[in-house]
Parts: sequence; C-alpha cells; structure tokens
Amino acid sequence: MPSRSQASRVGPYADALLARDLPALDPERRSEAVEFVAIRIADLPTPMNLAVRILAVVFNLGLSLGSRRTYISVSSSLPIPFVSEYPRLIRSLAFAYVWEKWPDTKPDGGRAQVEP
Amino acid sequence: MNLSRDAFGAGDHIEVEVLVIGSGAGGAPTAALLAEAGFDVLVVEEGEWYDQGSLKPFSLDQMEKQYRSGGVTVALGRPSIAYTEGRCAGGGTEVNSGLYKRPPHSMLTKWREGYKIQDLELDDIDAIADEIETDLSISYVPGESTLASKALARGATNLGWENGEIPRWMSYPERGDALSGKRQSMTETYLPRAVKAGAILSTGIRVERLEMKDATAGSAVVERRDGRKGRISFRHVFVCCGAIHTPALLQRSGIKGNIGKRLAVHPTVKLSAKFSEAINVDNDVPVHQVTEFFPHSSFGGSASQAGLLALALNDNWREFRGQITDWRRMSVYYAAITSEGRGRVISIPGMRDPLVTYHLTKNDRTLLGISLGRLALAMLAAGAEAVYPSFRGAPIVKRPADVARLEAGFSATKASVMSVHLCSTVPMGEDPRLCGADSFGRVHGTTNVRVNDASLLPSAPGVNPQATVMALVVRNVRRFIEETVHV
Repeated sequence: MPSRSQASRVGPYADALLARDLPALDPERRSEAVEFVAIRIADLPTPMNLAVRILAVVFNLGLSLGSRRTYISVSSSLPIPFVSEYPRLIRSLAFAYVWEKWPDTKPDGGRAQVEP
Repeated sequence: MNLSRDAFGAGDHIEVEVLVIGSGAGGAPTAALLAEAGFDVLVVEEGEWYDQGSLKPFSLDQMEKQYRSGGVTVALGRPSIAYTEGRCAGGGTEVNSGLYKRPPHSMLTKWREGYKIQDLELDDIDAIADEIETDLSISYVPGESTLASKALARGATNLGWENGEIPRWMSYPERGDALSGKRQSMTETYLPRAVKAGAILSTGIRVERLEMKDATAGSAVVERRDGRKGRISFRHVFVCCGAIHTPALLQRSGIKGNIGKRLAVHPTVKLSAKFSEAINVDNDVPVHQVTEFFPHSSFGGSASQAGLLALALNDNWREFRGQITDWRRMSVYYAAITSEGRGRVISIPGMRDPLVTYHLTKNDRTLLGISLGRLALAMLAAGAEAVYPSFRGAPIVKRPADVARLEAGFSATKASVMSVHLCSTVPMGEDPRLCGADSFGRVHGTTNVRVNDASLLPSAPGVNPQATVMALVVRNVRRFIEETVHV
C-alpha cells in the first residue's frame, strides 16, 4: 500500500485527470485506479520518485486555480520535456490497470453492458 | 518448488568461497558451473522466488512481483526510454519473451577486434551455444503459431521481406499447442542445477556495497528482507545484477573506471494493428520476427492484453480511444533498432537506486521513424484494417499512402520509446579506454571482482541478447574454474 503522504501527493491530480479522460468511470473504480497509480509511483526508483514528488506538488497547485477541466486539459498536454512525463505516467498506469482489470470497459470509462 | 533458503539463520555474518550476486541469465549459470566444479557457492538475489508459470505472463500482478519497481523504470533523455528489469529468482529469464537468437558471428568478430577481447573464438561460442540450447530445451512452437504471430510473418512475406519463427526456451507437452509451453527459465534449469551441486540460493537479500581493501574485495554488506543488515565474506565475487544494477553496485563500492558509462539498449517503438478477426492473445507474444533490415532494425510482436493495448493507444487517446472496444481484434507490434546512442548509469550517494540516462542520436531518431513506417506497411500487407502508431499526433494508417504521413509526423520525442534489452555498462576487453572489465569479466583494477552478465556485452547485439549473454557467461566462468585453485 502507498504511504498516506504518497497517495495524497499523487491522488488529487490523478483523480482529476481520470475524471476528464474517463468521465464515465464510476467513482469506486476511479478510486481503485488512483490507488494503484499511487502504489506504483511509491515504488519508483529513488531519483524518479524524487522528481515525481516535486512534479506532484507543482501539478497539484494548479488544481486550485480556476477551471479544473481547463487546467487538466492544458496541463496534461504540455509539450515540455520531463514535465509532460508526469500526466503521461499517471495515464499509462491508470489505463493499464482499468483495462486489465475490466477489459470490456468502454472508451469513456463506462461499464460494458454485460461484464463477466 | 522454492529452492531458496535463509543463508544467515540467526547470525549476521557468513563466509563463503564464492559469492554470486544475482540469479538471472548471468548469475544462475555462473553458480551452477562453479558449484559443479566443487566451489562453495552462495547466490544472493534481491527479489523473491516465484515458480515459473505461477503468475499470468505480462500481467500487472507479474510486474508487481517479478519486475523491479513494478516495471516502471525509465532512462531519462529526450525522449526518456521506459525499460524493464526482472527482480526475482531467475531475473529477467522468468518474465521475458523467451526468444532465442544465437550470438551473431559478425557481432562477436566486431567485438573481438574493436575491444581487444582475447580468446573469443567463434567455434568455442558455437559449442557453448549448442550446450545451452540443450539445457534450455530450445524449441519451435508445435503446430500452428498464434494468429498474431502469423499476421506479422504474412505481412513480411507479402512484401518479400525476410522473416521467420524464432525458437524459444520452452518445453511443450506432447500434442501441445503454441500456448502450452513452459518457459525454461533459470528457476527451471540452472538454479536447480546449482542447488543440486551444493550451492545455496538466498532470496530477499540486497547487496549494498562490496568492502574493498586496495584492489581486493573481501566482503559484502547486505540488507535482508526484514531490514536487518548482514555481512558476507568471500574469496571471489561475481556481480551479475544486470546492466543497470551491476555498475551501480560497483560504483557504490568505490570502483572506478569504465563503469556505467556506455549503456546500450535496443530502442523500440510500437503500433497497434486491427484485423477483421479476433487475433489477440492475452498471455503470450508472437514468435515471428522480421529480419529483413538486420542489423539496423527488426520487427516483432508484443504482449497485447487489453491493458497493454490501452497503454499503446493512450498517446492519442482522444483520436484512438474508440478502438479499445475492439481489443480482441487487435495486437501490438514493435520495431526495434540497433542504436548508435549511449547512456549512463550513475550511482548517487544517499540514493538507493541509480540515475539512468540515454541519448538517442539523430540517426537513431530517423531510423525509429523509418522502422515504424515499415512495420505499418507490413501490417497493412498482412491484411490489417488499420494501424495505430504509438506517438502523439500519429495518423491512423489505413493504406500504404498513409505511411508517408506517419513518417513525416514522427518524432522520437513524441513517441513512447521502450526497451527490454539493456547491456554494455561494464564492457569486456583489454582496451582500457573502452572497457570496464578484462576479456573474461574481471573488473579492471581489481583482483577478485568479476562481472558476468549483460553488462559485459560491448554493444547491443541487434538480436535478443540472452543467448549471447549466457554463452559469454559460460565461457568466462569456465576460464575462472581453469585458473583458480579452490580450497
């Protein structure tokens, strides 16, 4: 399990990013995916972990400024080397988790009509 | 069956004749041959033991348990390159594709001459490869290969490109099919041999550093699974932690020289191809490769379960996301290049893990784009309805004319570049300007510290490297046995 501080660092932005990318993903699944992302990020090699901690603080700051939807849209597509890797990392981990665990999830994150 | 045991017991200090650090394609054969020659051998492994086949291949569960950092490791650069390393008993052999390619003679000759490697005879390496092929049950799939694999072969054949099935270290049951094989990894082969011959394998032990006195290492300071420290004294040590953690350990031990300065990888870019029929295999990889453009590039198939397909599509999620519902009709393929670039492994005081960097050259970037375009052509020639390249802004490729748009729009910095083949961080040879270890793996400037893993390869071989690594490892350890009088 990720430490409380690790989850709180990564969680807000990851949650907001998934809410935008997969709007129909229900809150329980989104929360599970965010927790998975936090666990994996907590286990990153030390130099990456340090960099991600710094980026998490920076990206979280923006969440309190103006429109969250606009902020996520802009911040998740920044063409800035290294910085752009943060939303990409979160998205990659979360998508891999969602579709491995629930492979018939719809593109918007909605549940398939019939799931095994 | 878990063959590991606690070497320390209630104490915190043990003495052995030979310490082998790491249990993968380097450490396991090293330990087996030494133990069979009568040496007192302890193998320590940072990860844990999992029986081969007990975890679903290429799943997140497997990544969590058998990969370092859950499979999320990156060499920083522009672009950064995601790579993976095994961290478990058997190392990367437990989790890789199992594809076997003999050491290419052209590469061995180039290494021998360019790096002044003594006694690197092609006949000797071929003879060792024969042995390894028997030990690992190198086999072709029985009967038909998977549809995803055949698609790649069909596309290449339709274009007149050289391709073929790559054999694997797999054993198949009688009347088995392509998906019934059991990987003949180190936990199935060399580790049982080592233990049978008297070696002890101890998992959950991380070596922090070697304690050096002048040029000789006398002991290793370790951290055990429960966090307790320990010390292992030895006469000889073989460092076999893979191309990232071998140089990192040597650097932490204060060993200098050409250590960690010449990391080489096979950078890889990917695409997803959609067909009219269900071709997805969620627990295995295609066995065919396109070798038409060797040694510059080669194409193959990747693990493609739905989670990994979502990963492959996510660079253009807004445009490509609708395809995820058709994941059963899709498969992921890769184009790997032989890179001119190099990277570094840098151990930073106070940090548990090293910093890893990699620099792609301009030629590498161009070749990645060309190779991805060629791979897209092959998929169309195989009958793919559409191809979805993994880079930001990529077009959907539906006809050969679209490939020009793909290549024009490709930029390595927009792509998800990956690698699973890491090597060359302690290159072997007698040229001190280039090499970190001598012709048989002894680290330059030391008397008893030997490297025996992928770190020794002078450059990326352009093919799946495990066979080359194992052949050199066996050669080196045999020379050690010949030259060493043990007590």
